[in-house]
Amino acid sequence: MHVLLCEDDDLIASGIVAGLNAQGLNVDRVATASAAQAMLQAASFDVMVLDLGLPDEDGIKLLQRLRHKGEALPVLVLTARDSVSDRVAGLQAGADDYLLKPFDLRELCARLHTLQRRVAGRTLNMIEHGPLQHDPSTRQTWLAGQAVDLSRREQALLYALLQNRGRVLSGEQLKDSVYGFSDEVESNALNVHIHHLRRKLGNGIVETVRGLGYRLGPAQAAAQEPQ
Amino acid sequence: MSLRLRLSLILGTAFVLIWALAATWMFRDLRSQMMFSLDQRLVASARMVAGLVDRLPQPLSAQGEGTRFSADQWSIPDGIACQVSSLRGEILARSHGNADQVLDDQRTGFHDQEIEGEHWRSFTLARDDVRITTADRELEREALNRSVLLAASAPVLMALLGSIAMLWLGIGKGLAPLNRMCEALRKRDVDALEPLALKSLPSELQPLLETQNQLFLRIGRTLERERQLTGDAAHELRSPLTAIKTHLQVARMTAGLAHEQALGHAEEGADRLQRTLEQLLLLARVEGSLSFDDGAPCSAERVARLAIGDARPEDRWRVELHVPPRLPSIALGMPSTLAVQALRNLIDNALRHSPDQAPVWLTLATEPGCVCFTVRDFGPGIAAQDLEHLTQRFWRSRSSTGCGLGLAIVQAIAQRCGCTLHFDSTEDGLRVSFKVPFRPV
Repeated sequence: MHVLLCEDDDLIASGIVAGLNAQGLNVDRVATASAAQAMLQAASFDVMVLDLGLPDEDGIKLLQRLRHKGEALPVLVLTARDSVSDRVAGLQAGADDYLLKPFDLRELCARLHTLQRRVAGRTLNMIEHGPLQHDPSTRQTWLAGQAVDLSRREQALLYALLQNRGRVLSGEQLKDSVYGFSDEVESNALNVHIHHLRRKLGNGIVETVRGLGYRLGPAQAAAQEPQ
Repeated sequence: MSLRLRLSLILGTAFVLIWALAATWMFRDLRSQMMFSLDQRLVASARMVAGLVDRLPQPLSAQGEGTRFSADQWSIPDGIACQVSSLRGEILARSHGNADQVLDDQRTGFHDQEIEGEHWRSFTLARDDVRITTADRELEREALNRSVLLAASAPVLMALLGSIAMLWLGIGKGLAPLNRMCEALRKRDVDALEPLALKSLPSELQPLLETQNQLFLRIGRTLERERQLTGDAAHELRSPLTAIKTHLQVARMTAGLAHEQALGHAEEGADRLQRTLEQLLLLARVEGSLSFDDGAPCSAERVARLAIGDARPEDRWRVELHVPPRLPSIALGMPSTLAVQALRNLIDNALRHSPDQAPVWLTLATEPGCVCFTVRDFGPGIAAQDLEHLTQRFWRSRSSTGCGLGLAIVQAIAQRCGCTLHFDSTEDGLRVSFKVPFRPV
């Protein structure tokens, strides 16, 4: 899951980034509203975590503007403002969830997964795709009932494909999901991960759409890991 | 007791008292006038009888005993008894048939006498050789008197009751605006702070309403400010707390270098929390009524040196102290701890907002009655529109890393100790002058 974190406090931001990374999420962090807006245009994200007390603009205003422009990205507001009216204002401005500081990192992570689940219209965290089962919150994958061991990057790749079932994702979009915007990535790194994923979950799991990008294909239970 | 009842009682009692006095006076007058009139009637009746006796063809005494005139014949008013007797005492004529009822007529003039258990008022007139006595019963006189008094008192009583009723109604009507105001106040929500909107109030109540509304407005503003402050304080305390908690959780999730880093960050957060808390507590102490130990009287130069000494060791050399050659060593008129605290915050602020290695000047100068500390930095200065926010609690410029309380504390100290704080920003830096009065000798 590719997360955009918009938080002006360096100390808090570094904690959230480290915590979400440790739970298998890719996080890009910006400190201002204008940077957040630029980042949203430059890369694709699955969810945004937004602090309201930004130095250049109130987070609520940024949110309203984004929603006005038709941005459908799920947004979790993270703030120290605890009054009911603040929370209502945040939700009315287009926030999908609201978490008060200080919070629990595991709760933040769980809520982000819940937001993703809702976006995809699922009722359970478990994503099923033919014989393939993947639980993004526990980062476990099964193929025909057999646990499959996936690296963090492979999980991110699989998750991006599962979350966008039926849609073609460009190489850039996949790269954003797997690495985050700020990471320097070698040009063939994505191909390496696709290769590994195909090896573990069957050749058809990632379909190449020539000239456009990649798409989720059928998982093959019969696929055997070469010894 | 309601104002209406109170006013009605006071005015009503006064009314009743005055009316009662007037009525007593009137009744007494009326009674004596009445008695006088009745007496006059006796006299007039006696004279009338005397006139009649004079005109008789032969003297009444010559007719002898047994000649009687009845009262009816003489057309004397009902209730009046009349008796004509000779000087020797024999009764020549009388209006009442009963021989036992003899009026005493030995003395002329008015008399009260009792005959067979009845009280009479009599008048005796001596004329030539006869005595004429007229009399009426006290009982009748009193009855007459009572009926007159009763007739007179009924309108008085009615007027009194009417007045009290009018008083009650009038006071109620007069106090209606006050009641409206009370009702409006009573209906208000306990926490409501919007101004009272009451139309057409009398001029006496207008100032009350205006003061009340101004008070509501002021309380509203104060509450809003306090709410804002509480919100800000909550934010300022929650942020480092969030950092600490988050990094501690990260430390639990990770190992090795990341684990160490997270613990370090958590400690950094704890330091920040401690700084903010200390500043908040100091501000609360300065703004509150807690007293500060005056300590030993301290001169301006000593305060300045103490404040510089509190700067971080790596920055201390940047602060240049300029003391005029003949600075009088008069003690400052404020607790030295507060003076040092204020200067320390100003120096800290200046160091924070000037480029690395740039000096900060601390200049001392005397002015009549006070000493002026000027802290000057060589930073970018501050925008004119931000000057008014400088001393606002939790306000900080975009680039600042402080907790936003330093200058608010200086301002609070200045207000508490009668000092003046002035900011002057130019492109080549900010000058803050802090004037402290000398200790009165």
